[in-house]
Amino acid sequence: MNGDFLDLLPTEAFPVLRDAKATAGGIEATTVFAFHCSDGVLIAGDHRATSGNLIFSDRTEKILELDRYSVMAIAGSPAVAFEMARTLQTAFEFFRRSQLQAMSLLAKTRTISRLLKDNLPAVLQGVGLVAPIFVGLEPGRVDTRPMIYFYDPLGAHFEAANYAGSGSGSGSIKSVLHYCETWRGPKPSGMQLPEAVNFANRLLMTAAEFDTATGGVEPEKTRFGTIKLLSYEGVRTISDGEQGEFWEV
Amino acid sequence: MHEEPYRWLEAIQNRREYIVDQMQGGTPVYAVSRPEGVLLLGVGTGRSKVFEIYDRHGFCALGNPVDIEKLRQAAIESAHTEGFQRAPEDVNLRRLVNFALSPLLKNSYESIFSPPLIVDGLFAEVGASMEDDVRVRLRFDGAPHFDVEGLLVASGDEEMTRRADRWLHENLPDEADLGWVVTYCLATWAAISDDGNFEDLEVPTGKVLTIPGREVEVALLDRKVAGAAKYRQLDLQTL
Repeated sequence: MNGDFLDLLPTEAFPVLRDAKATAGGIEATTVFAFHCSDGVLIAGDHRATSGNLIFSDRTEKILELDRYSVMAIAGSPAVAFEMARTLQTAFEFFRRSQLQAMSLLAKTRTISRLLKDNLPAVLQGVGLVAPIFVGLEPGRVDTRPMIYFYDPLGAHFEAANYAGSGSGSGSIKSVLHYCETWRGPKPSGMQLPEAVNFANRLLMTAAEFDTATGGVEPEKTRFGTIKLLSYEGVRTISDGEQGEFWEV
Repeated sequence: MHEEPYRWLEAIQNRREYIVDQMQGGTPVYAVSRPEGVLLLGVGTGRSKVFEIYDRHGFCALGNPVDIEKLRQAAIESAHTEGFQRAPEDVNLRRLVNFALSPLLKNSYESIFSPPLIVDGLFAEVGASMEDDVRVRLRFDGAPHFDVEGLLVASGDEEMTRRADRWLHENLPDEADLGWVVTYCLATWAAISDDGNFEDLEVPTGKVLTIPGREVEVALLDRKVAGAAKYRQLDLQTL
């Protein structure tokens, strides 16, 4: 008994599409990012999923809680990303329950790498690309802080010092984050929660200005991004109502 | 041996006697439904008696530690596979017991050329209300006993189990909070471990949440807690 849930599954988690010939036009979900703030790590994403030039949904949740101390932000193909998140949720809980201890943060990052690697054959055929951001905290240890990791499609993971972004709208966001963190304040890493939440929503609106595949954030209609905070207390979802109160201040 | 029915029956009878003998001295475990959720209690050595199985499911057991572990792992694997392939809401105790765990135990019990699983376990599923809770006792022979009266006890001696069960039904007040439930359970635990005299066992007048030299393990399948996972270990200091 090794506590590995993936070993229980009858086949690999993401089987290769062996006979696929053409590149399929997948639905793509687009702008997610995470940055350190004074209360922990803030993870945010818009709600839009697109397929080519079509808006498929403006109600997509791209920030997914994997367990109490880890969150994955997805960019890419929702079909694969949601399945990946579900697999990870089960794998983390299975390990915790069967081994009577939580999986370490490093093991979690490597499990995500393994799923991305399993998914590579499909990606090479033009479907199912996922480029996630993973935010996690080593449970039970107060001498560490929440960490941000981003991945390439082959499964390599990289630790982000201050922030990470993924998806087609993330380029402009990362530029703003870099500028604010490096040259001009207030630095995102020093922001209190209300300021950080407002900043995240403004970043999403900035991304939507230049990227048609980013959307669904309209403060005047009380529609904000999906925003979660990871701190030592665990993952906390910042509701639309709470974001609305912050926005009006 | 299989060609001779009498010898097979004799072998099974010997096997039962061997298991019952091995179970003697096993310390009792409890599953009690309350408005707060289902309380699971055992007296062990720290995470050795009471366990989380799935979102709404817990388990406590006595018996051989290796066999407890086998049953626990089988339950966790079945529940997680079912929850992943369908949905967490589809994982329920009746199906888990009837289709996964009971056959496992029955096969083990009747496979007379391999070692039996020496285990007696209580499984619980928390529902929206006490009426929706499911509690089941699963013994080494695979026969499940689904409880409808709100509490279950398992111990190494069937007569002691019956006495403890009856005493708790007669004396545990409906309004007892979790601390009092633990106190009443520990009173029967002490009676079983001592001389089994329930006739003279008095109703506790103050909360007793510890047993000298032992570790009391208590968990709650919490009906009210937010999130999918309802299991939480209780800190006795807070009861």
